[in-house]
Amino acid sequence: MKVKLWGTRGSIPSPGPETIRYGGNTSCVGVTLADGSMLALDAGTGIRSLGLALAQEPARLHILLTHLHLDHIQGLVFFAPAFQPQTEIVIWGPASPEASLRDRIARYISAPLSPVEVRELPCDVSFRHCPQSEWEIGSARISAASVSHRGPTLGYRIDDGGSSLAYIPDHEPALGADLDSLEEDWISGLGLARNASLLIHDGQYADAEYPDHVGWGHSSLSHALSFARRAEAERTVLFHHDPMHSDERLDRLSEEARERWGAMGGNPEAIDLAVERAEYELPTRMVSAISAT
Amino acid sequence: MTTQKPLELILARNLMSALSTPAFLVDEGGVLVFYNEAAGALLGKRFEELGTVGAEEWGSLFGPFDEAGEPIPYDELPLVVAVRNGRPAHADLQISSADGTRHRVEVSAFPILTPHGSQGAIAVFWPAGSSNGAGH
Repeated sequence: MKVKLWGTRGSIPSPGPETIRYGGNTSCVGVTLADGSMLALDAGTGIRSLGLALAQEPARLHILLTHLHLDHIQGLVFFAPAFQPQTEIVIWGPASPEASLRDRIARYISAPLSPVEVRELPCDVSFRHCPQSEWEIGSARISAASVSHRGPTLGYRIDDGGSSLAYIPDHEPALGADLDSLEEDWISGLGLARNASLLIHDGQYADAEYPDHVGWGHSSLSHALSFARRAEAERTVLFHHDPMHSDERLDRLSEEARERWGAMGGNPEAIDLAVERAEYELPTRMVSAISAT
Repeated sequence: MTTQKPLELILARNLMSALSTPAFLVDEGGVLVFYNEAAGALLGKRFEELGTVGAEEWGSLFGPFDEAGEPIPYDELPLVVAVRNGRPAHADLQISSADGTRHRVEVSAFPILTPHGSQGAIAVFWPAGSSNGAGH
């Protein structure tokens, strides 16, 4: 499984010289599965670059949306494969009692916010609510679970070839909860992240910023580290950078994260701050078979 | 992969933990999965001491009793009505704390309905005759 970060920023695109290293595009992660199937996790402005980078349009690709805040869907109408008639795109997302996934997305892909309507997209696009049980895409098993954020929001886990990716970009698991003492099944998102090979998790705020943003749906550095410790993921990438955080600020946060992770008993090299265009290859592992004797 | 409790239960527990109003939480199967410190003070036993209690079992731990002091059938308890029938329920009743003291309370229960159906129910206890649900 290959993972590439196409957009690492939260809230609003933040291009400029001060964010050029960590990137200014909003949430999008490209995943290539062991069998070559292609997934995009969220469709922030980073998905535009992902679409341009696809040398050959895949016949079918899946977009897994965590939720429908603008920074996670803003790139949809600038995703080149959506304008290729031969491409089939399946968009997965959270259910809502209010309206279907298609109708909620159509509020953005319609006048006056968009020059095109969903029905005008040349590709073959379909919309599916994520099931509560696992399902398969290509060679992967996909799991989705509701997580603590504002509005219907999912986190995802992708198991493929013996490796696993957990993606929970917008998440405030510590809202009203003590992550260090709560039982595991009472922590939002922990089931998805448990023992993941790679955990991509919200790390929007420095600790000093969090008190002014309680309930906004995002994590402080301390909360992200506590969550990662409970999850026991092999590697953690802190994601969804605050638009006010410059590269220099993120460098300092990265240094602090690694120091604190080391002090918690972890390997400092196993904590990264997300960098746009960074790539991770999760090795295909032999999965031991249970003999039926 | 381990599974988490439904998010609605997690958020309900987080909210209840911050309240001074006694509150109980059951899952979709009627299992008592949490009550807060205020409820623990009323019952004389903290949730951490008791832990999860199965459906049909928790009702008998604290009574409850009607005005005449007779046990109230499990099926008629507000929490059970809320979780089974998916509608709010209210009752005046007495509960017995760990030391045998009886407390008259008003109980309001409501179901936790989600896009995936009912995930459980919450009951809030209000000491009868009190203008302050926290009992202070």
